[in-house]
Amino acid sequence: MRLRSLFLFDMRFQTKYGFYFLYTVLTAVYIVILLAIPGSWREKAAAVLIFSDPAAMGLFFMGAIVLLEKSQHTPCALAVSPVRAIEYMIAKAGSLSAVSLAVAALLALAADAKHLHIILPGTMISSVVFTLLGMIVATKTESLNQFILWTVPVEFACFAPAVLHLFEVTPTWLKYYPANVCMDMVSGHSPSAAGLLIVMAMIIILFIYSGFCVLKMWDHTGGAKI
Amino acid sequence: MIQVSNLSFSYTKQPFISDMSFSVSPGEIFGFLGPSGAGKSTLQKILIGMLRTYQGSAMVNGVECKKRTKRFYENIGVDFEFSTMYEKLTARENLQFFSSLYEKKPRPIDELLEKAGLARDADKRVADYSKGMKSRLNFIKALLHDPLLLCLDEPTSGLDPANSRTMKDMILEEKAKGKTILLTTHNMQDATELCDRVAFIAGGKICALDSPHNLIMSKGAAAVTYTWMENGERSASCPLKHLSSDKRLKDLIENNRLQSIHSSEPTLNDIFMDITGRTLL
Repeated sequence: MRLRSLFLFDMRFQTKYGFYFLYTVLTAVYIVILLAIPGSWREKAAAVLIFSDPAAMGLFFMGAIVLLEKSQHTPCALAVSPVRAIEYMIAKAGSLSAVSLAVAALLALAADAKHLHIILPGTMISSVVFTLLGMIVATKTESLNQFILWTVPVEFACFAPAVLHLFEVTPTWLKYYPANVCMDMVSGHSPSAAGLLIVMAMIIILFIYSGFCVLKMWDHTGGAKI
Repeated sequence: MIQVSNLSFSYTKQPFISDMSFSVSPGEIFGFLGPSGAGKSTLQKILIGMLRTYQGSAMVNGVECKKRTKRFYENIGVDFEFSTMYEKLTARENLQFFSSLYEKKPRPIDELLEKAGLARDADKRVADYSKGMKSRLNFIKALLHDPLLLCLDEPTSGLDPANSRTMKDMILEEKAKGKTILLTTHNMQDATELCDRVAFIAGGKICALDSPHNLIMSKGAAAVTYTWMENGERSASCPLKHLSSDKRLKDLIENNRLQSIHSSEPTLNDIFMDITGRTLL
């Protein structure tokens, strides 16, 4: 029940801060762009849009959310409550992924994409990866400027290879690179079992590490430095 | 309820808390009194399981604080000195959220808001609250899950006298229900009024530990000061224990010439200065 409360509260928090309004506007703009470009480009354009925005929104929004929470000292309140780091993370990743899924579905439908059964799980997986990466960076930074600076290498490591992979200009062995596996799925291609396994392993590692970062952030609010 | 033995803690290589030992019984209001930087907030953070790299032992509710799990917090309510609320949400939304994090059935939110004098502002965003209102809201957040132990850090800080009174009454009400309360403060009046026992903390050590009454009386310096008119107003003081031998006072009483008469005891601050050589404020 606590997880449900955290999940619903995160959605309420995101609504109050206008995240959903912003994404409604952005989705409308993206759909207009998709409808305006030639039909033959649409599917790839949709893949780039889905991967770089709804799927990756967690990377940026997690910074905003965690830094806002830090500025309001709410991590202190959570640190002395029965909430576990894993619950906190699942609620955040789940609530942001729900928005990602809704936006991705609308964009995929607008682009007349055929493999929604692959695109949506792909978006979900990518969103979880990006949200956890955002959480790791956000827990380690104290200001928005710091956060933006630290997300640059993450963006570069995730987006550049994935976009190049979409346009098939990367070597074959890079098809197992997690960002490329995610891009494969977001563009409607079935991932290989090995690729999927690598992404899942990465998600587990990110979960464990971001859990450690959340605990460290909570401990840090208590004045301890590990 | 709380058993601390040979507790030491350090942020750096220098010891910050050294070799503290004390215990707190169920239903007691126990005050940590000391100036800023004395180690009282650090001590409280150890007791609420936020600092776990200490030496010695700190047992709360039968749990060693450094080994606490998240269930530990089902029975602890913490009121930080600063607001820990989501500012864009209303007071009611905040309280509903925080109460949903516990397994226990929460206390009625409206009742708590009413007691704290916040009922009319329950649906106002916390960002629009004054410092005193945030302070009261923070306090009732700590009561939501009806914890056995309440840890209050400067609960009356920034409150006007009327709201400070409300807060103190609510603290005493919790004590009457059998709750154990840890009060961290540098406000000697609050400590004198609320605490069953206080620990003077200076330089990371407990310098004295007793009831406020015993600490005050231990100095034994109670005196009577009186004034009378004689070529203008004049005053004199006499130790309470020598009162019967003060002939001038006797004369003034017999001739109804006293203008005023007051007894005065040392304050906790005086005692603190006497013991530690430092002031509380």
